[in-house]
Amino acid sequence: MILESVRRMARQHSVSAMLVFGLVLIPVLYWIGAISIETVNMLGRYMCFAIVAVGLDLIWGYTGILSLCQAFFFSLGGYSMGMYLAHHGGAGGATDPTGRWEVPACLHVVSSKVGVEPLPWFWKPFYDLHWAVLLGLLIPGIVAALIGFVGFRSRVRGVYFAILTQAITVAAWLVFSMNNMKFCGTNGLTNFDKILGHPLSENYVKLALYLATVVSLGSTYFLCHYIVRSRLGRVLIAVRDDENTLRFSGYKPYMYKMFAFTVAAMLAGLGGILYAPQMGIFTPANMEASASILVVIWVAVGGRGSLSGAVLGALAINLLYNFLTSEHNFYLLQWKPDYWPIILGLLFIGVVLIFPNGLIHLWHRLNGQTSKDGNQS
Amino acid sequence: MARRPVRVPGGPQAFKYKTYTQTHPKPEFFVQRLCSNNRILLTLTLFLQVSATILAQTNQPVARKEGEPKILQLMVQLASEEEEEVIQAIKNLALTGDLRLENFFDLYRQGSVYLWEDAPEGILKIVVNEETVENDDFDELAPLVHPLTKKPVMIDGKQARPLIEDLTDISPGRKVRKIANSSKFLIRLASPNPKDRISGVKKTGDPPQNIDAIPSLQRIIKEDPDEKIQWTAKESLLLIRLAGVLPEQTAKDREAAIQELGNIKSLRALPRLQILLDTLNEAKEKPEGADAWTAAAKQSIKQIDKHETSVERFNNIFQGLSLGSVLILMALGLAITFGLMGVINMAHGELMMIGAYTAFEIQRAFGHNPDNPVDSYFFVAIPVSFAVAAMVGLIMEALVIRHLYRRPLESLLATWGIGLILIQLVRIRYGDNIGVNAPTWSLGGNEILQDVILPNGRLFIMLLCAACVGLVYFLMNKTPLGLRMRATMQNRDMASSLGVNTRNVDRCTFALGSGLAGVAGCAWTLIGGVTPDMGQNNFIVDSFLVVVTGGVGELAGVICSGLGIGLITKWVEPLRIGGFVVGAIWAKVILLAIIVGFIQFKPAGLFAPKGRLSDV
Repeated sequence: MILESVRRMARQHSVSAMLVFGLVLIPVLYWIGAISIETVNMLGRYMCFAIVAVGLDLIWGYTGILSLCQAFFFSLGGYSMGMYLAHHGGAGGATDPTGRWEVPACLHVVSSKVGVEPLPWFWKPFYDLHWAVLLGLLIPGIVAALIGFVGFRSRVRGVYFAILTQAITVAAWLVFSMNNMKFCGTNGLTNFDKILGHPLSENYVKLALYLATVVSLGSTYFLCHYIVRSRLGRVLIAVRDDENTLRFSGYKPYMYKMFAFTVAAMLAGLGGILYAPQMGIFTPANMEASASILVVIWVAVGGRGSLSGAVLGALAINLLYNFLTSEHNFYLLQWKPDYWPIILGLLFIGVVLIFPNGLIHLWHRLNGQTSKDGNQS
Repeated sequence: MARRPVRVPGGPQAFKYKTYTQTHPKPEFFVQRLCSNNRILLTLTLFLQVSATILAQTNQPVARKEGEPKILQLMVQLASEEEEEVIQAIKNLALTGDLRLENFFDLYRQGSVYLWEDAPEGILKIVVNEETVENDDFDELAPLVHPLTKKPVMIDGKQARPLIEDLTDISPGRKVRKIANSSKFLIRLASPNPKDRISGVKKTGDPPQNIDAIPSLQRIIKEDPDEKIQWTAKESLLLIRLAGVLPEQTAKDREAAIQELGNIKSLRALPRLQILLDTLNEAKEKPEGADAWTAAAKQSIKQIDKHETSVERFNNIFQGLSLGSVLILMALGLAITFGLMGVINMAHGELMMIGAYTAFEIQRAFGHNPDNPVDSYFFVAIPVSFAVAAMVGLIMEALVIRHLYRRPLESLLATWGIGLILIQLVRIRYGDNIGVNAPTWSLGGNEILQDVILPNGRLFIMLLCAACVGLVYFLMNKTPLGLRMRATMQNRDMASSLGVNTRNVDRCTFALGSGLAGVAGCAWTLIGGVTPDMGQNNFIVDSFLVVVTGGVGELAGVICSGLGIGLITKWVEPLRIGGFVVGAIWAKVILLAIIVGFIQFKPAGLFAPKGRLSDV
């Protein structure tokens, strides 16, 4: 009977099951020594990606707007957290002339002039963790609301919006890569040392960060689950399926789109906030155009229009990436990491041509169950 | 019965032709074989060949071998006992204009040049030896090198190594050494190659000014066949006069030089005049005529500044047009695949990359490199790039894209995947970086006005862009194929029911768009680097922005937005806002902001499609 109820739960709330798995099983496995702390850390990072993927699923899977700037929002969150961590980084930082602020080591190296330059004003709010986290959520939200306002109000749709957001990402990437922007240039933010006084290299800190990520992922999932099941979610699906009819019924679709886009951006920011301390470095490479498209492929492989699919897709592809970017000896084939982009490319093509509804629908079909999620016809 | 001559297939004439193609492959030969029954390609190549013959005339071979024996003869005079003769020999040597003498003069001053009187017949008299070696008997031997080519002097297949005692040291005295040094730059002034000559002429005007050059400069002003060199010589002469290093120079003369520099609008004089003003301001004791100089210098600086601004404006406009034509060329193929067919071809940049790599392969096949230029390779590379990229496009269409005609967003994902695969395959095959050497005619430039230089490579791309736009316009609007293409894209079902084979039309359209990307990539090799990920990094976002801004489905839209974006970028880039130069990256950001703002008013681009098509 217990088994039966677990199976039912696994079927209906696959994410709840995953959550239990992530919250309980992984730490237990770590404590008994079956997996190393590096594996836990890696899973934590991939779950940050899953948070971004859930956000994209909300805007793309449910509202039907393909956004190619999720990586930009992710990086905004990551940079906020990274700036906090760099402030409290290792040795090498100097005190600036006012004597109050410490100049982060990476910034100190970048500045070519002799002597210590004063800390740029926009670094100052990130000295405090609370502000860093708050701003890491708010900045992507505000930027997204702005982009959404100018984009959706003038009814930039579909492909055009995708290209517009990609162009914005590329521009932001160029700007963040500039050395004289005081974001530490292409080297990115480095030299992370402590979070709230706890050293990042300690195992217990890594485990705590991992658990925080799992909890955030779970909350994200239930938040989005709540949104898509509410009346608001119905309107979002209506935007996706027939925007013109919705407009004729007296709704203002652009408000709803802006809302979904902003929520998605804040979730991406959250992913970035959690990612930076676990990765130990944050570079502008995180917001390259290809990074945003990668988010889209996670959702597409997992199953767009299904929140659990997004989580599944992000985890599955990243684990596959982790496996295939090391050398292996399959029976006849000497596997090289060089081949991974080809596999990824084939995955892009395959998911579009062969199973456009993603892995999760394959899973549902195997279980003989019709999807309850907002499945696109 | 008389024997009739047997006709050998491929007789003497064919043999002759064959050898010709082996040494210098004739472009027409390959091209005609490659596109024997394709009229479009043939028209393209015909056009390109015409432009090839025009441009090939600017290509000048460098020949300098014939003067060598004469130079060696002159060198022997360096061993003369009479100092006057030695000086005369140095001057005569400098006048031959052989650049290799610059090095020789340095060696001569250092005392590394020897006279070898007992040299065997046919071997040089004047030789160079920099370091001696000792043999087992502790004899000091001198390995010899050629004074001009710096190759070892060979006797019986071995480097000549006479005893050092057998050589006569002819190292010069103090006076001669000085003359040898100051004659060094005269070599360039006498060079038969205009490029070397102009660099030499420029050098004489730069500090430290050398008054020995004045006779040569005056000769060049009078006699040089190249007007630009004449003008530069005049400028250099004035700069020497401006520097005030002439013996017995009057203040009036210096003032006249300052005024004259202003009148000829010499850009090189600008920093020099500024320095002069500063030193005059700071000087405690004013030299004679200082006030007149200050007034004249201020006047001249004003004139030159005005000239400089207008030159910059010209250059900005030209660079804007040039960037615009590059953008149009990049976006033209996309305007067809995206604008007409509605396929979001994210692999468009990779098709360009394939075009660039095709150009690289053709260059290799022709054996073109900077030392041994085979410029014609480029005119083969363009049509071949078109063909290769079109082939790749056809394969893409057949395997993937035909399933996605009604799902534009998903075609974005699939084509991005194709792009990833293409990049990685190319990277595995070629590594990360290759060098395409642009043909020599594309390297120079034309000076159309004073100081306004238009680079040939950029001009050629403009020309190519115009040709491609013209061809696409012709193809779309004046040929039956274009009619079918437009019909299919407007209303597929109707076209199909009227007997148009829409599958074939799709294939042709996509191949055409892809091929144009290949041509763009091939042209890109003239001005930019070639890497496997050049498409994702440089092209794809820009090309899409051009098409989106222009509005889909209209050729005119692409042209207007391409030129507009190019001109605005180059107008914004050099702007200064309170000491802050905008630069390339901020110009891009500003441009993006402008485009976003523009989309507020014209959501569907400059030339919006009307009616049913607008609801993508």
